[in-house]
Amino acid sequence: TGSSLGGPKTFNFKHQTATMSSETCTSEYCNAGWSEVLTHMSPYGYANFGVAFGLGLSVVGAAWGIWLTGSSLVGAAVKAPRIRSKNLISVIFCEATAIYGVIMAIILTNKVDSPESSVYYLDDDWDYAEYYYAGYGMFSAGLSVGLTNIASGVSVGIAGSSCAIADAQDSSLFVKILIVEIFASALGIFGIIVGIIQSNSCTFPVS
Amino acid sequence: MVTPPPKNTPGGMATFNILHGFPEALVRGMRNSFLQDSDYHHMTQCETLEDVKLNMSESDYAEALADDTSLSPSGLQKAAIDKLVTEFKYLRTQTVEPLSTFLDFITYEYMIENVMLLLKGTLSGRDINELIAQCHPLGMFKESTMRSIPTFENSAKGYSDLYQTVLVDTPVGQYFAMFLEESADRVGGEVRNVLEEVEIEIIKSSLIKFWIEDFYGFVQKLGGDTADIMGEILSVRADTNAINITLNSFGTPLNEPAMRASDRKGLYPAVGHLYPAGTAMLVDVSDEDELGRVLELFPQYSNIWNIHSAGGGEKSIDDAFYERDVQMLELAFESQMHYAVFYAYVKLKEQEIRNLVWITECILQAQKDEINKFVPVFSHHAPWRMTKRR
Repeated sequence: TGSSLGGPKTFNFKHQTATMSSETCTSEYCNAGWSEVLTHMSPYGYANFGVAFGLGLSVVGAAWGIWLTGSSLVGAAVKAPRIRSKNLISVIFCEATAIYGVIMAIILTNKVDSPESSVYYLDDDWDYAEYYYAGYGMFSAGLSVGLTNIASGVSVGIAGSSCAIADAQDSSLFVKILIVEIFASALGIFGIIVGIIQSNSCTFPVS
Repeated sequence: MVTPPPKNTPGGMATFNILHGFPEALVRGMRNSFLQDSDYHHMTQCETLEDVKLNMSESDYAEALADDTSLSPSGLQKAAIDKLVTEFKYLRTQTVEPLSTFLDFITYEYMIENVMLLLKGTLSGRDINELIAQCHPLGMFKESTMRSIPTFENSAKGYSDLYQTVLVDTPVGQYFAMFLEESADRVGGEVRNVLEEVEIEIIKSSLIKFWIEDFYGFVQKLGGDTADIMGEILSVRADTNAINITLNSFGTPLNEPAMRASDRKGLYPAVGHLYPAGTAMLVDVSDEDELGRVLELFPQYSNIWNIHSAGGGEKSIDDAFYERDVQMLELAFESQMHYAVFYAYVKLKEQEIRNLVWITECILQAQKDEINKFVPVFSHHAPWRMTKRR
Protein backbone atom coordinates (compact mmCIF):
# COMPACT_ATOMS: atom_id res chain seq x y z
CA THR A 1 0.00 0.00 0.00
CA GLY A 2 1.51 3.32 -1.02
CA SER A 3 1.31 6.29 1.24
CA SER A 4 -0.96 9.18 0.32
CA LEU A 5 -0.96 12.50 2.06
CA GLY A 6 -3.05 11.23 4.90
CA GLY A 7 -1.74 7.78 5.51
CA PRO A 8 1.23 6.41 7.32
CA LYS A 9 3.87 4.65 5.34
CA THR A 10 4.58 1.56 7.26
CA PHE A 11 1.22 0.21 8.41
CA ASN A 12 0.36 -3.22 7.25
CA PHE A 13 -3.30 -3.91 7.63
CA LYS A 14 -3.36 -7.39 6.30
CA HIS A 15 -2.06 -8.82 9.56
CA GLN A 16 -4.80 -7.13 11.45
CA THR A 17 -7.61 -8.53 9.36
CA ALA A 18 -6.60 -12.07 10.14
CA THR A 19 -7.40 -11.61 13.81
CA MET A 20 -10.80 -10.07 13.24
CA SER A 21 -14.09 -11.91 12.84
CA SER A 22 -14.54 -14.27 9.97
CA GLU A 23 -17.20 -12.07 8.45
CA THR A 24 -14.70 -9.33 7.72
CA CYS A 25 -13.88 -8.99 4.10
CA THR A 26 -10.32 -10.08 3.37
CA SER A 27 -9.87 -8.67 -0.08
CA GLU A 28 -7.25 -5.99 -0.43
CA TYR A 29 -9.89 -3.58 -1.69
CA CYS A 30 -11.90 -3.64 1.57
CA ASN A 31 -11.41 -1.51 4.63
CA ALA A 32 -10.10 -3.25 7.69
CA GLY A 33 -12.68 -1.69 9.96
CA TRP A 34 -13.17 1.59 11.78
CA SER A 35 -9.56 1.88 12.80
CA GLU A 36 -8.54 2.19 9.19
CA VAL A 37 -11.27 4.70 8.40
CA LEU A 38 -10.47 6.91 11.35
CA THR A 39 -6.71 6.85 10.96
CA HIS A 40 -6.95 7.55 7.27
CA MET A 41 -8.88 10.77 7.84
CA SER A 42 -6.44 13.59 7.44
CA PRO A 43 -5.36 15.35 10.60
CA TYR A 44 -5.87 18.59 8.71
CA GLY A 45 -9.49 17.51 8.36
CA TYR A 46 -9.71 16.83 12.06
CA ALA A 47 -8.19 20.20 12.88
CA ASN A 48 -10.55 22.11 10.64
CA PHE A 49 -13.53 20.20 11.99
CA GLY A 50 -12.34 21.26 15.41
CA VAL A 51 -12.47 24.87 14.32
CA ALA A 52 -15.95 24.40 12.88
CA PHE A 53 -17.34 22.67 15.97
CA GLY A 54 -15.72 25.13 18.30
CA LEU A 55 -17.12 28.14 16.54
CA GLY A 56 -20.42 26.65 15.46
CA LEU A 57 -21.46 25.10 18.74
CA SER A 58 -20.42 28.21 20.69
CA VAL A 59 -22.58 30.37 18.48
CA VAL A 60 -25.49 27.92 18.85
CA GLY A 61 -25.18 28.18 22.62
CA ALA A 62 -24.94 31.96 22.57
CA ALA A 63 -27.87 32.36 20.20
CA TRP A 64 -30.03 29.98 22.22
CA GLY A 65 -29.23 31.94 25.37
CA ILE A 66 -30.01 35.30 23.80
CA TRP A 67 -33.24 33.82 22.43
CA LEU A 68 -34.33 32.70 25.89
CA THR A 69 -33.40 35.83 27.77
CA GLY A 70 -34.30 38.36 25.10
CA SER A 71 -37.94 37.33 24.80
CA SER A 72 -38.48 37.60 28.55
CA LEU A 73 -36.64 40.90 28.71
CA VAL A 74 -38.75 42.46 25.96
CA GLY A 75 -42.00 41.20 27.48
CA ALA A 76 -41.28 42.28 31.03
CA ALA A 77 -40.05 45.69 29.88
CA VAL A 78 -43.52 46.51 28.47
CA LYS A 79 -44.91 47.01 31.94
CA ALA A 80 -41.68 47.79 33.80
CA PRO A 81 -39.50 49.87 31.46
CA ARG A 82 -36.85 50.54 34.09
CA ILE A 83 -35.38 47.05 33.62
CA ARG A 84 -34.38 47.63 30.03
CA SER A 85 -30.79 48.76 30.34
CA LYS A 86 -29.73 46.77 33.39
CA ASN A 87 -30.86 43.44 31.98
CA LEU A 88 -28.85 43.79 28.82
CA ILE A 89 -26.04 42.37 30.94
CA SER A 90 -27.63 38.95 30.55
CA VAL A 91 -27.45 39.31 26.79
CA ILE A 92 -23.81 40.38 27.06
CA PHE A 93 -23.00 37.27 29.12
CA CYS A 94 -24.49 35.13 26.37
CA GLU A 95 -22.52 37.01 23.76
CA ALA A 96 -19.33 36.30 25.70
CA THR A 97 -19.74 32.59 25.08
CA ALA A 98 -19.75 33.26 21.35
CA ILE A 99 -16.59 35.31 21.75
CA TYR A 100 -14.86 32.38 23.45
CA GLY A 101 -15.67 30.31 20.39
CA VAL A 102 -14.24 32.96 18.06
CA ILE A 103 -11.04 33.23 20.11
CA MET A 104 -10.54 29.48 19.98
CA ALA A 105 -11.27 29.38 16.27
CA ILE A 106 -8.72 32.12 15.53
CA ILE A 107 -6.04 30.40 17.63
CA LEU A 108 -6.63 27.07 15.90
CA THR A 109 -6.86 28.48 12.40
CA ASN A 110 -3.53 30.20 12.78
CA LYS A 111 -1.91 26.82 13.38
CA VAL A 112 -3.02 25.43 10.03
CA ASP A 113 -0.80 26.71 7.24
CA SER A 114 -1.71 26.37 3.64
CA PRO A 115 0.82 24.31 1.69
CA GLU A 116 3.30 26.15 -0.50
CA SER A 117 3.16 23.69 -3.32
CA SER A 118 1.13 20.63 -3.99
CA VAL A 119 2.65 17.61 -2.36
CA TYR A 120 1.44 14.10 -3.04
CA TYR A 121 3.82 12.08 -0.97
CA LEU A 122 4.99 13.10 2.47
CA ASP A 123 8.70 13.30 3.21
CA ASP A 124 10.48 10.23 4.45
CA ASP A 125 11.29 11.94 7.74
CA TRP A 126 7.79 13.27 8.25
CA ASP A 127 6.98 13.62 11.97
CA TYR A 128 3.85 11.50 12.07
CA ALA A 129 3.53 11.66 15.82
CA GLU A 130 3.41 15.42 15.82
CA TYR A 131 1.08 15.31 12.83
CA TYR A 132 -1.52 13.15 14.49
CA TYR A 133 -1.10 14.88 17.82
CA ALA A 134 -1.83 18.24 16.21
CA GLY A 135 -4.90 16.95 14.39
CA TYR A 136 -6.53 15.18 17.29
CA GLY A 137 -5.54 17.91 19.73
CA MET A 138 -7.14 20.67 17.75
CA PHE A 139 -10.30 18.63 17.14
CA SER A 140 -10.68 18.00 20.82
CA ALA A 141 -9.95 21.61 21.75
CA GLY A 142 -12.70 22.73 19.40
CA LEU A 143 -15.14 20.24 20.87
CA SER A 144 -14.26 21.25 24.44
CA VAL A 145 -15.01 24.85 23.75
CA GLY A 146 -18.11 24.19 21.65
CA LEU A 147 -19.89 21.80 23.96
CA THR A 148 -19.18 23.76 27.13
CA ASN A 149 -20.39 26.91 25.46
CA ILE A 150 -23.72 25.34 24.50
CA ALA A 151 -24.31 24.41 28.11
CA SER A 152 -23.13 27.77 29.35
CA GLY A 153 -25.20 29.72 26.83
CA VAL A 154 -28.45 27.89 27.59
CA SER A 155 -27.84 28.16 31.31
CA VAL A 156 -27.18 31.89 31.16
CA GLY A 157 -30.27 32.28 28.99
CA ILE A 158 -32.62 30.60 31.42
CA ALA A 159 -31.12 32.43 34.40
CA GLY A 160 -31.26 35.71 32.49
CA SER A 161 -34.93 35.18 31.67
CA SER A 162 -35.77 34.66 35.34
CA CYS A 163 -33.57 37.63 36.23
CA ALA A 164 -35.49 39.99 33.93
CA ILE A 165 -38.84 38.82 35.26
CA ALA A 166 -37.74 39.02 38.90
CA ASP A 167 -36.26 42.46 38.37
CA ALA A 168 -39.59 43.63 36.97
CA GLN A 169 -41.20 42.59 40.25
CA ASP A 170 -38.59 43.77 42.73
CA SER A 171 -35.42 45.60 41.76
CA SER A 172 -33.44 44.40 44.76
CA LEU A 173 -33.39 40.90 43.29
CA PHE A 174 -31.37 41.84 40.22
CA VAL A 175 -27.87 41.74 41.68
CA LYS A 176 -28.50 38.48 43.51
CA ILE A 177 -29.72 36.65 40.44
CA LEU A 178 -26.86 38.14 38.43
CA ILE A 179 -24.51 36.12 40.65
CA VAL A 180 -26.22 32.96 39.42
CA GLU A 181 -25.58 34.07 35.86
CA ILE A 182 -21.93 34.78 36.60
CA PHE A 183 -21.47 31.21 37.79
CA ALA A 184 -23.26 29.95 34.70
CA SER A 185 -21.01 31.87 32.35
CA ALA A 186 -17.94 30.57 34.20
CA LEU A 187 -18.70 27.23 32.55
CA GLY A 188 -17.71 28.69 29.23
CA ILE A 189 -14.45 29.94 30.65
CA PHE A 190 -13.58 26.39 31.76
CA GLY A 191 -14.02 25.27 28.19
CA ILE A 192 -11.73 27.85 26.66
CA ILE A 193 -9.04 27.37 29.34
CA VAL A 194 -8.87 23.64 28.68
CA GLY A 195 -9.07 24.23 24.95
CA ILE A 196 -6.11 26.60 24.99
CA ILE A 197 -4.03 24.23 27.11
CA GLN A 198 -4.83 21.36 24.79
CA SER A 199 -4.06 23.23 21.61
CA ASN A 200 -0.97 24.98 22.93
CA SER A 201 1.52 22.32 21.97
CA CYS A 202 -0.24 21.36 18.76
CA THR A 203 1.74 22.40 15.73
CA PHE A 204 1.64 20.79 12.35
CA PRO A 205 5.02 19.70 11.10
CA VAL A 206 6.33 21.44 8.02
CA SER A 207 8.27 19.79 5.28
CA MET B 1 -62.29 15.05 25.34
CA VAL B 2 -64.15 17.24 22.90
CA THR B 3 -61.37 19.70 22.20
CA PRO B 4 -58.69 18.26 19.89
CA PRO B 5 -55.37 17.54 21.64
CA PRO B 6 -52.66 20.19 21.37
CA LYS B 7 -50.30 19.85 18.42
CA ASN B 8 -47.19 20.71 20.41
CA THR B 9 -46.29 20.99 24.05
CA PRO B 10 -45.32 24.13 25.96
CA GLY B 11 -41.70 22.93 26.08
CA GLY B 12 -39.41 22.56 29.03
CA MET B 13 -37.08 25.10 30.60
CA ALA B 14 -34.86 25.43 27.57
CA THR B 15 -37.53 25.72 24.87
CA PHE B 16 -40.55 27.41 26.47
CA ASN B 17 -39.33 30.94 25.80
CA ILE B 18 -39.08 30.32 22.08
CA LEU B 19 -42.81 30.61 21.47
CA HIS B 20 -44.23 31.75 24.78
CA GLY B 21 -41.50 33.82 26.45
CA PHE B 22 -42.94 37.16 25.44
CA PRO B 23 -46.56 36.61 26.61
CA GLU B 24 -45.36 35.06 29.87
CA ALA B 25 -43.10 38.03 30.56
CA LEU B 26 -46.01 40.35 29.73
CA VAL B 27 -48.19 38.68 32.35
CA ARG B 28 -45.43 38.88 34.90
CA GLY B 29 -45.05 42.57 34.18
CA MET B 30 -48.80 42.95 34.65
CA ARG B 31 -48.45 41.27 38.03
CA ASN B 32 -46.92 44.54 39.18
CA SER B 33 -50.27 46.23 38.82
CA PHE B 34 -51.95 44.44 41.72
CA LEU B 35 -52.84 46.75 44.58
CA GLN B 36 -50.46 46.57 47.52
CA ASP B 37 -51.23 46.30 51.23
CA SER B 38 -50.59 50.04 51.58
CA ASP B 39 -53.12 50.83 48.84
CA TYR B 40 -55.78 48.72 50.55
CA HIS B 41 -54.91 50.33 53.88
CA HIS B 42 -55.35 53.84 52.48
CA MET B 43 -58.59 52.94 50.78
CA THR B 44 -60.19 51.47 53.87
CA GLN B 45 -59.39 54.69 55.71
CA CYS B 46 -61.29 56.79 53.16
CA GLU B 47 -64.54 58.43 54.14
CA THR B 48 -66.00 59.14 50.72
CA LEU B 49 -65.73 57.66 47.29
CA GLU B 50 -63.95 60.77 46.07
CA ASP B 51 -61.06 59.96 48.41
CA VAL B 52 -61.01 56.42 47.07
CA LYS B 53 -60.71 57.75 43.55
CA LEU B 54 -57.85 60.01 44.64
CA ASN B 55 -56.04 57.06 46.16
CA MET B 56 -56.51 54.97 43.06
CA SER B 57 -55.10 57.67 40.83
CA GLU B 58 -51.63 56.57 41.94
CA SER B 59 -52.23 52.93 41.16
CA ASP B 60 -52.48 51.20 37.84
CA TYR B 61 -56.17 52.07 37.64
CA ALA B 62 -55.49 55.77 37.09
CA GLU B 63 -56.14 55.71 33.37
CA ALA B 64 -59.17 53.49 33.64
CA LEU B 65 -60.87 55.84 36.06
CA ALA B 66 -59.82 59.11 34.46
CA ASP B 67 -63.04 59.41 32.45
CA ASP B 68 -65.55 58.88 35.22
CA THR B 69 -66.46 62.12 36.92
CA SER B 70 -67.94 60.48 39.99
CA LEU B 71 -67.19 57.03 41.27
CA SER B 72 -69.76 54.39 42.09
CA PRO B 73 -69.17 50.72 42.93
CA SER B 74 -70.75 49.53 39.71
CA GLY B 75 -68.87 52.14 37.67
CA LEU B 76 -65.64 51.07 39.31
CA GLN B 77 -66.40 47.43 38.61
CA LYS B 78 -67.15 48.13 34.98
CA ALA B 79 -63.97 50.19 34.48
CA ALA B 80 -61.82 47.57 36.19
CA ILE B 81 -63.31 44.70 34.18
CA ASP B 82 -62.85 46.63 30.95
CA LYS B 83 -59.19 47.15 31.86
CA LEU B 84 -58.79 43.42 32.53
CA VAL B 85 -60.45 42.58 29.23
CA THR B 86 -58.18 44.97 27.29
CA GLU B 87 -55.12 43.35 28.86
CA PHE B 88 -56.45 39.86 28.18
CA LYS B 89 -57.17 40.65 24.54
CA TYR B 90 -53.67 42.06 24.16
CA LEU B 91 -52.25 38.86 25.62
CA ARG B 92 -54.47 36.72 23.40
CA THR B 93 -53.26 38.45 20.23
CA GLN B 94 -49.61 37.92 21.20
CA THR B 95 -49.91 34.16 21.73
CA VAL B 96 -49.56 31.15 19.47
CA GLU B 97 -50.75 27.57 19.79
CA PRO B 98 -51.19 25.86 22.17
CA LEU B 99 -51.22 28.85 24.51
CA SER B 100 -53.93 30.55 22.47
CA THR B 101 -56.24 27.57 22.94
CA PHE B 102 -55.45 27.67 26.65
CA LEU B 103 -56.49 31.32 26.82
CA ASP B 104 -59.65 30.52 24.86
CA PHE B 105 -60.50 27.92 27.49
CA ILE B 106 -60.39 30.64 30.12
CA THR B 107 -62.98 32.63 28.17
CA TYR B 108 -65.37 29.68 27.73
CA GLU B 109 -66.36 29.92 31.38
CA TYR B 110 -67.55 33.48 30.83
CA MET B 111 -69.32 32.49 27.63
CA ILE B 112 -71.28 29.85 29.55
CA GLU B 113 -72.22 32.49 32.12
CA ASN B 114 -73.40 34.85 29.41
CA VAL B 115 -75.53 32.21 27.68
CA MET B 116 -77.18 31.29 30.97
CA LEU B 117 -77.72 34.96 31.80
CA LEU B 118 -79.52 35.47 28.51
CA LEU B 119 -81.66 32.34 28.96
CA LYS B 120 -82.56 33.16 32.53
CA GLY B 121 -83.26 36.75 31.62
CA THR B 122 -85.76 35.84 28.97
CA LEU B 123 -87.59 33.55 31.37
CA SER B 124 -88.14 36.54 33.64
CA GLY B 125 -89.00 38.64 30.63
CA ARG B 126 -86.23 41.22 30.76
CA ASP B 127 -85.18 43.38 27.83
CA ILE B 128 -82.52 41.91 25.56
CA ASN B 129 -80.43 45.09 25.40
CA GLU B 130 -80.28 45.33 29.16
CA LEU B 131 -79.14 41.71 29.29
CA ILE B 132 -76.44 42.20 26.69
CA ALA B 133 -75.13 45.19 28.63
CA GLN B 134 -74.85 42.95 31.66
CA CYS B 135 -72.90 40.21 29.90
CA HIS B 136 -69.31 39.66 30.94
CA PRO B 137 -67.08 41.18 28.24
CA LEU B 138 -64.58 38.30 28.28
CA GLY B 139 -67.26 35.91 27.09
CA MET B 140 -68.89 37.81 24.29
CA PHE B 141 -69.66 36.24 20.99
CA LYS B 142 -71.38 37.58 17.91
CA GLU B 143 -74.09 40.15 18.51
CA SER B 144 -76.54 38.32 16.23
CA THR B 145 -75.96 35.06 18.07
CA MET B 146 -76.61 36.68 21.39
CA ARG B 147 -79.79 38.38 20.22
CA SER B 148 -81.27 35.12 18.96
CA ILE B 149 -80.74 33.20 22.20
CA PRO B 150 -83.76 34.59 24.08
CA THR B 151 -86.15 33.82 21.23
CA PHE B 152 -86.17 30.10 22.11
CA GLU B 153 -88.64 28.49 24.46
CA ASN B 154 -87.88 26.84 27.74
CA SER B 155 -88.63 23.22 26.90
CA ALA B 156 -86.74 20.17 25.79
CA LYS B 157 -87.44 20.81 22.13
CA GLY B 158 -86.63 24.46 22.54
CA TYR B 159 -83.16 23.67 23.84
CA SER B 160 -82.36 21.33 20.95
CA ASP B 161 -83.47 24.00 18.51
CA LEU B 162 -81.33 26.50 20.35
CA TYR B 163 -78.34 24.25 19.97
CA GLN B 164 -78.90 23.33 16.34
CA THR B 165 -79.37 26.80 15.04
CA VAL B 166 -77.49 29.12 17.31
CA LEU B 167 -75.03 27.60 19.69
CA VAL B 168 -73.48 25.01 17.40
CA ASP B 169 -71.06 27.56 15.97
CA THR B 170 -69.91 28.87 19.31
CA PRO B 171 -67.12 27.20 21.27
CA VAL B 172 -69.51 26.35 24.09
CA GLY B 173 -71.84 24.57 21.66
CA GLN B 174 -69.95 21.31 22.22
CA TYR B 175 -70.73 21.42 25.94
CA PHE B 176 -74.38 22.14 25.19
CA ALA B 177 -74.47 19.14 22.84
CA MET B 178 -73.09 16.92 25.58
CA PHE B 179 -75.69 18.29 27.99
CA LEU B 180 -78.49 17.49 25.55
CA GLU B 181 -77.15 13.95 25.10
CA GLU B 182 -77.03 13.50 28.84
CA SER B 183 -80.53 14.82 29.44
CA ALA B 184 -81.93 12.69 26.63
CA ASP B 185 -80.78 9.67 28.63
CA ARG B 186 -82.74 10.77 31.63
CA VAL B 187 -86.02 9.02 32.16
CA GLY B 188 -89.49 10.38 31.73
CA GLY B 189 -91.39 13.57 31.16
CA GLU B 190 -92.86 13.71 34.71
CA VAL B 191 -89.42 14.16 36.10
CA ARG B 192 -88.81 17.11 33.84
CA ASN B 193 -91.83 19.07 35.07
CA VAL B 194 -90.72 18.88 38.66
CA LEU B 195 -87.41 20.32 37.69
CA GLU B 196 -88.68 23.40 35.89
CA GLU B 197 -87.53 25.86 38.48
CA VAL B 198 -84.12 24.27 38.95
CA GLU B 199 -83.66 23.49 35.28
CA ILE B 200 -81.59 26.59 34.50
CA GLU B 201 -79.25 25.96 37.40
CA ILE B 202 -78.83 22.35 36.31
CA ILE B 203 -77.98 23.43 32.78
CA LYS B 204 -75.38 25.86 34.05
CA SER B 205 -73.81 23.34 36.45
CA SER B 206 -73.69 20.73 33.70
CA LEU B 207 -72.05 23.11 31.24
CA ILE B 208 -69.46 24.14 33.81
CA LYS B 209 -68.85 20.48 34.61
CA PHE B 210 -68.16 19.64 30.97
CA TRP B 211 -65.94 22.69 30.64
CA ILE B 212 -63.83 21.70 33.67
CA GLU B 213 -63.44 18.14 32.43
CA ASP B 214 -62.49 19.31 28.94
CA PHE B 215 -60.00 21.85 30.27
CA TYR B 216 -58.49 19.25 32.58
CA GLY B 217 -58.04 16.79 29.73
CA PHE B 218 -56.41 19.45 27.55
CA VAL B 219 -54.06 20.51 30.32
CA GLN B 220 -52.99 16.92 31.04
CA LYS B 221 -52.09 16.48 27.38
CA LEU B 222 -49.90 19.57 27.51
CA GLY B 223 -47.77 17.88 30.14
CA GLY B 224 -44.90 19.27 32.21
CA ASP B 225 -45.33 21.97 34.80
CA THR B 226 -48.54 23.18 33.18
CA ALA B 227 -50.20 19.81 33.73
CA ASP B 228 -49.09 19.70 37.36
CA ILE B 229 -50.06 23.20 38.41
CA MET B 230 -53.12 23.72 36.27
CA GLY B 231 -54.30 20.18 37.01
CA GLU B 232 -54.20 20.93 40.72
CA ILE B 233 -56.02 24.25 40.28
CA LEU B 234 -58.76 22.63 38.20
CA SER B 235 -59.12 19.68 40.60
CA VAL B 236 -59.70 22.06 43.46
CA ARG B 237 -62.15 24.03 41.34
CA ALA B 238 -64.09 20.86 40.55
CA ASP B 239 -64.21 19.91 44.23
CA THR B 240 -65.42 23.39 45.16
CA ASN B 241 -68.20 23.03 42.60
CA ALA B 242 -69.19 19.63 43.93
CA ILE B 243 -69.38 20.88 47.50
CA ASN B 244 -71.31 23.99 46.50
CA ILE B 245 -73.80 22.01 44.41
CA THR B 246 -74.46 19.71 47.35
CA LEU B 247 -74.76 22.56 49.80
CA ASN B 248 -77.08 24.59 47.58
CA SER B 249 -79.31 21.61 46.88
CA PHE B 250 -80.46 21.27 50.48
CA GLY B 251 -84.03 22.48 50.67
CA THR B 252 -84.65 22.29 46.94
CA PRO B 253 -86.30 19.50 44.93
CA LEU B 254 -82.83 18.36 43.90
CA ASN B 255 -82.26 17.00 47.39
CA GLU B 256 -85.01 14.41 47.24
CA PRO B 257 -83.78 10.80 47.22
CA ALA B 258 -85.21 10.16 43.77
CA MET B 259 -83.51 13.22 42.32
CA ARG B 260 -80.17 12.71 43.98
CA ALA B 261 -79.03 9.63 42.17
CA SER B 262 -80.34 10.62 38.78
CA ASP B 263 -79.77 14.35 38.62
CA ARG B 264 -77.45 15.61 41.33
CA LYS B 265 -74.95 12.85 40.67
CA GLY B 266 -74.67 13.97 37.07
CA LEU B 267 -73.58 17.43 38.13
CA TYR B 268 -70.39 16.38 39.92
CA PRO B 269 -67.33 16.75 37.68
CA ALA B 270 -65.32 13.66 36.85
CA VAL B 271 -62.05 15.27 37.93
CA GLY B 272 -60.77 16.39 41.29
CA HIS B 273 -59.66 14.96 44.60
CA LEU B 274 -63.23 14.12 45.58
CA TYR B 275 -63.74 12.00 42.48
CA PRO B 276 -64.64 9.09 42.47
CA ALA B 277 -64.95 8.04 46.09
CA GLY B 278 -65.93 11.40 47.53
CA THR B 279 -68.56 12.24 44.94
CA ALA B 280 -70.11 8.77 45.33
CA MET B 281 -70.52 9.55 49.03
CA LEU B 282 -71.82 13.04 48.32
CA VAL B 283 -74.66 11.61 46.25
CA ASP B 284 -76.25 10.16 49.40
CA VAL B 285 -75.83 13.23 51.55
CA SER B 286 -79.14 14.75 52.60
CA ASP B 287 -78.25 17.40 55.14
CA GLU B 288 -75.35 19.41 56.48
CA ASP B 289 -74.31 16.95 59.19
CA GLU B 290 -73.88 14.17 56.69
CA LEU B 291 -71.98 16.53 54.39
CA GLY B 292 -69.69 17.40 57.31
CA ARG B 293 -69.05 13.75 58.00
CA VAL B 294 -68.13 13.05 54.38
CA LEU B 295 -65.76 16.02 54.26
CA GLU B 296 -64.02 14.91 57.47
CA LEU B 297 -62.42 12.21 55.37
CA PHE B 298 -60.70 14.80 53.16
CA PRO B 299 -58.31 16.89 55.24
CA GLN B 300 -58.04 19.77 52.81
CA TYR B 301 -61.79 20.35 52.90
CA SER B 302 -62.48 19.53 56.54
CA ASN B 303 -60.79 22.80 57.56
CA ILE B 304 -63.02 24.80 55.27
CA TRP B 305 -66.07 22.88 56.41
CA ASN B 306 -65.27 23.60 60.05
CA ILE B 307 -65.18 27.30 59.28
CA HIS B 308 -68.64 26.96 57.79
CA SER B 309 -70.14 24.92 60.58
CA ALA B 310 -68.71 27.23 63.24
CA GLY B 311 -71.27 29.75 62.09
CA GLY B 312 -71.41 32.31 59.34
CA GLY B 313 -70.53 35.22 61.62
CA GLU B 314 -66.82 35.60 61.03
CA LYS B 315 -66.45 34.05 57.64
CA SER B 316 -68.76 32.33 55.20
CA ILE B 317 -67.81 29.21 53.31
CA ASP B 318 -67.44 31.28 50.15
CA ASP B 319 -64.84 33.45 51.86
CA ALA B 320 -62.97 30.36 53.00
CA PHE B 321 -62.98 29.01 49.44
CA TYR B 322 -61.78 32.37 48.09
CA GLU B 323 -58.90 32.47 50.57
CA ARG B 324 -57.80 29.00 49.63
CA ASP B 325 -58.07 29.82 45.93
CA VAL B 326 -55.98 32.99 46.30
CA GLN B 327 -53.28 31.03 48.11
CA MET B 328 -53.11 28.44 45.32
CA LEU B 329 -53.19 30.96 42.51
CA GLU B 330 -50.40 32.99 44.08
CA LEU B 331 -48.32 29.81 44.12
CA ALA B 332 -48.75 29.53 40.37
CA PHE B 333 -46.57 32.62 40.05
CA GLU B 334 -43.76 30.96 41.95
CA SER B 335 -42.48 28.94 39.01
CA GLN B 336 -41.69 29.93 35.46
CA MET B 337 -42.16 28.35 32.04
CA HIS B 338 -45.75 27.18 32.33
CA TYR B 339 -49.19 28.42 31.33
CA ALA B 340 -50.90 28.50 34.71
CA VAL B 341 -49.77 32.11 35.30
CA PHE B 342 -52.27 33.28 32.68
CA TYR B 343 -55.21 31.61 34.40
CA ALA B 344 -53.96 32.77 37.80
CA TYR B 345 -53.64 36.35 36.61
CA VAL B 346 -57.25 36.51 35.35
CA LYS B 347 -58.64 34.93 38.51
CA LEU B 348 -56.56 37.05 40.90
CA LYS B 349 -57.53 40.22 39.03
CA GLU B 350 -61.17 39.18 39.43
CA GLN B 351 -60.59 38.74 43.16
CA GLU B 352 -59.08 42.21 43.31
CA ILE B 353 -62.10 43.66 41.51
CA ARG B 354 -64.36 41.89 44.03
CA ASN B 355 -62.30 43.45 46.82
CA LEU B 356 -62.61 46.93 45.32
CA VAL B 357 -66.36 46.61 44.93
CA TRP B 358 -66.65 45.36 48.53
CA ILE B 359 -64.63 48.28 49.90
CA THR B 360 -66.51 50.92 47.91
CA GLU B 361 -69.88 49.41 48.84
CA CYS B 362 -68.92 49.44 52.52
CA ILE B 363 -67.84 53.06 52.30
CA LEU B 364 -71.01 54.00 50.43
CA GLN B 365 -73.24 52.30 52.99
CA ALA B 366 -71.13 53.53 55.91
CA GLN B 367 -70.50 50.04 57.28
CA LYS B 368 -66.95 50.48 58.43
CA ASP B 369 -66.76 47.39 60.60
CA GLU B 370 -67.37 45.10 57.66
CA ILE B 371 -64.84 46.78 55.45
CA ASN B 372 -61.89 44.52 56.25
CA LYS B 373 -63.57 41.33 55.15
CA PHE B 374 -61.81 41.03 51.82
CA VAL B 375 -58.99 38.76 50.70
CA PRO B 376 -56.03 40.81 49.48
CA VAL B 377 -53.91 39.47 46.66
CA PHE B 378 -50.12 39.06 47.12
CA SER B 379 -50.38 40.48 50.56
CA HIS B 380 -47.48 40.30 52.99
CA HIS B 381 -49.94 39.91 55.85
CA ALA B 382 -51.71 36.90 54.42
CA PRO B 383 -52.23 34.15 57.02
CA TRP B 384 -50.21 31.59 55.08
CA ARG B 385 -47.25 33.95 54.96
CA MET B 386 -47.40 34.98 58.59
CA THR B 387 -47.08 31.47 59.97
CA LYS B 388 -43.67 31.03 58.41
CA ARG B 389 -42.20 34.06 60.13
CA ARG B 390 -42.60 32.71 63.63
